[in-house]
Amino acid sequence: MRRDFARRVRRAIANPTLQSALDHSAWRRVEARQEAFRSLPDADSLQAEARAIRMRTVAELEDYVQLFSRRLASNGIQVHRAASAEEACRLVISIARVHRAALIAKSKSMVSEEIGLNHALQAAGIEVVIVQLRGETPSHIISPAVHLRREDVAQTFQQALGMPYSTDVEAMTAFARRTLRGVFLSASIGLSGVNFGVAETGTLCIVTNEGNGRMVTSIPPVHIALMGVERIVPELEHLALMLQLLPRSATGQKLTSYVSLIQAPRRLGDLDGPDERHVILLDNGRFDLVGTPLEESLLCIRCGACLNACPVYREIGGHAYGSVYPGPIGSVLSPALFGVAEYGHLAKASTLCGACRDACPVQIDLPTLLLRTRVEYTRTVVQPQWLRVGLRLYTWIAERPDRYRSALRVAALISRLLPLRGNWIRALPPPFSAWTRFRHFPPFARRPFRARFTSRPPVTPRRGILPAPDGVPARNIAAATSAQDLFAQQLRGVGGELVPCQTGQLPDLISSRLGAARVDRLLAWGANEPLLAPTLERLRREGVTILEGEIPRGGGSLREASLNRLAEAQAGLTGALAGLADTGTLVLAAGENRSQLASLLPPIHLAVLPAGQIFASLQRWIVATKKEPVIGASAVSLISGPSRTADIEMTLTTGVHGPGRLIVFLVQDA
Amino acid sequence: MPEIVQLFATCLVDSLFPEVGEATMEVVESAGYTVSFAADQTCCGQPAFNAGYWEEARRMAQHTIDVMSGTIGPIVIPSGSCTAMIRHSYKELFGDDPIWLPRARELAARIYELSEFLVDVAGVVDPGGSFHGMLAYHPSCHLARGLGVQKQPLALLRAVPGAQVTPLEQECCGFGGIFAVDHPEISAEMLERRLCAIEECGAEAVVGADVSCLMHMEGALRKSGSPVRCAHLAQVLAGRGIGLR
Repeated sequence: MRRDFARRVRRAIANPTLQSALDHSAWRRVEARQEAFRSLPDADSLQAEARAIRMRTVAELEDYVQLFSRRLASNGIQVHRAASAEEACRLVISIARVHRAALIAKSKSMVSEEIGLNHALQAAGIEVVIVQLRGETPSHIISPAVHLRREDVAQTFQQALGMPYSTDVEAMTAFARRTLRGVFLSASIGLSGVNFGVAETGTLCIVTNEGNGRMVTSIPPVHIALMGVERIVPELEHLALMLQLLPRSATGQKLTSYVSLIQAPRRLGDLDGPDERHVILLDNGRFDLVGTPLEESLLCIRCGACLNACPVYREIGGHAYGSVYPGPIGSVLSPALFGVAEYGHLAKASTLCGACRDACPVQIDLPTLLLRTRVEYTRTVVQPQWLRVGLRLYTWIAERPDRYRSALRVAALISRLLPLRGNWIRALPPPFSAWTRFRHFPPFARRPFRARFTSRPPVTPRRGILPAPDGVPARNIAAATSAQDLFAQQLRGVGGELVPCQTGQLPDLISSRLGAARVDRLLAWGANEPLLAPTLERLRREGVTILEGEIPRGGGSLREASLNRLAEAQAGLTGALAGLADTGTLVLAAGENRSQLASLLPPIHLAVLPAGQIFASLQRWIVATKKEPVIGASAVSLISGPSRTADIEMTLTTGVHGPGRLIVFLVQDA
Repeated sequence: MPEIVQLFATCLVDSLFPEVGEATMEVVESAGYTVSFAADQTCCGQPAFNAGYWEEARRMAQHTIDVMSGTIGPIVIPSGSCTAMIRHSYKELFGDDPIWLPRARELAARIYELSEFLVDVAGVVDPGGSFHGMLAYHPSCHLARGLGVQKQPLALLRAVPGAQVTPLEQECCGFGGIFAVDHPEISAEMLERRLCAIEECGAEAVVGADVSCLMHMEGALRKSGSPVRCAHLAQVLAGRGIGLR
């Protein structure tokens, strides 16, 4: 394994495409994260709080898993526990067989990579469609294609999908949208990961930018969520805190375009949503880590910040690690979960520089975990002789000063036999030749410091007054005068359009917007929404076809036909339960006459938000509403701007799977 | 009577860069202290600790604790990583050992990295020294991230008459101890980036507070034929010129 790693490292370093892709994106990701954290007052104490919450959860993991499972079950979600990767795959396959599923639409999930699900499904004759056309695993927890340049992506699209070769990122994104849309609409099962599970409410939280996460969890008749058993937070408020940290750390966003809070399968009265939801809770070695020196690795929220920050990762990329979990956290998790004999060597591929610890939003002490893993590794796998014998000899010398003094003399003598250039050694014998391949080495001193030391009388002290410490730069917090202004500013910041208006103006304003975009089919929330009713009446008179979005229950062609009809809508019109000022987010809940697809399928999403429903933050909203909207709806979507991706060379493109435009009508008198 | 300060020279300074030890002594003496050197000191154990050989590291740490706890006064160490080893890693190494953990904590309370001692303890604002030209400051990882010592070395360097100081980005030079031999290709790539940054800023010399990183960079600078040299902070403050040896 170790040898394979060395081979992959050499190949990665010699690969100019990979090197330029990593150079291109790594620092920008680091800077984006730092920039995003500047907008958080007191980030350090939030991180410490998040760490404490994660520690508490992990310390009492079994209790939280049981509570979470009970809540999921009472919400009507089927819970399965899988002890191993094989068991998790078998569970997915058996659910697929029950539903005679031929096609599964899958969004990126690290757990599915961990258990090798794609391979298992293909072996079982089930087609899985994901955004993985190259037949390789993601090279990054967050940005699966970070190792590719746009030319590689263009070539893959050409070969696998038959798209005419183009390196235009927007064209490629549009092509992906068209191609995958059909998959989302016809798949009989949607498969997703889970970012957090909330124990007290049994809520599944899934974050996504492109919208694929929303697609697979709301369109197919069956949804399977795969989740590492440790990804639980006790309460909804804790989730709000984690959501302040995860997107900032992962992509440098205050919030991802979409956050789904899933509570239940489709309920009576819902227009859409899966009839069945399953959660598979994967152990696969996690419980074995509780109470061990590596327990802290279970705090990880899979943001990938340590990968971006790691100078080693930035040289070799994710694939060189040979594990689904690369980078610093991967070098701890892979040996801990999959075996120290097979993966322990990864822990040695670090200079212990601590950049990962600084980047971690839950303050995992990664250098210490890497060191602890090294201890396990040296105990388990026989180390190279020079290291083993060398360190024992060095210890034997260093614990006795007389031996140490003699060794210094011997080292100085040997130094003189080696070839010098400019007084430094230019070639050392193996294995230290690895040093002199790239650098010279200083010769050992003829007179070490200990021989030079002589005590001397003190001289006149140089003391003075301490200079004033450098001023701490003031935090760059936007001077928002009110929650409404902040909402407007943040919404525009994430690419949304804002139209402030009065209730009476809505029909005119919406009608003219739709007219300008030549919309004649509108997927809209029902006419029983008082704010929308006059507008819908007006649009009907103008000849716009209004679709209400009810999807037949069950799978099959009836459902697919109905979905295809809805997919023809050129715009979606919805209300909104609330606005969140600090992130410019709309809160939408599923329910009677409230199509979830209206904010997902069409290329334009128009939302009507009463100005009185703007809250300072997700946290405030959860507290102010006593969590009722989250618990009361089968699913709540948090929408921050249009659907987007920066997967291809970090070039921002909107309208990936969800709408490319988001227009919010902020109603001042409502 | 001036206060006595113990010098823990570190194995690298003792064996490879005795001039850095001398410079450290001069600088601490200039601040008004008497420097003492416990002759039985050897190595803090960091090489074995980082390699995962904790049993061996413990033996070296115990020797260091034995030797240094027999001395009086604050202990100054011209190395960020050895200071971090004794301050933080000894606790990890001795876990819940009822005898050695308290002794390790006692020792940890007495140690200071050189710049930390000069600025925070001795209150030095005018350290002396001289250098005419541009210095690049390399914030070594264990010093800046591990100990949080970031402003002190810069404050001292900026007080050196004639010196223009450019702090380099907080980035690892790729040394990592045995890592440099274990993964020479990765190490060399990281080093190359560091050298590019040094070249870009146009400095004549690179200054830092860890001879391990400096030896790594100077070794590569020499191999490439570059005229740029490295120097330990103490050497610049003592006005000893540039070049580790």
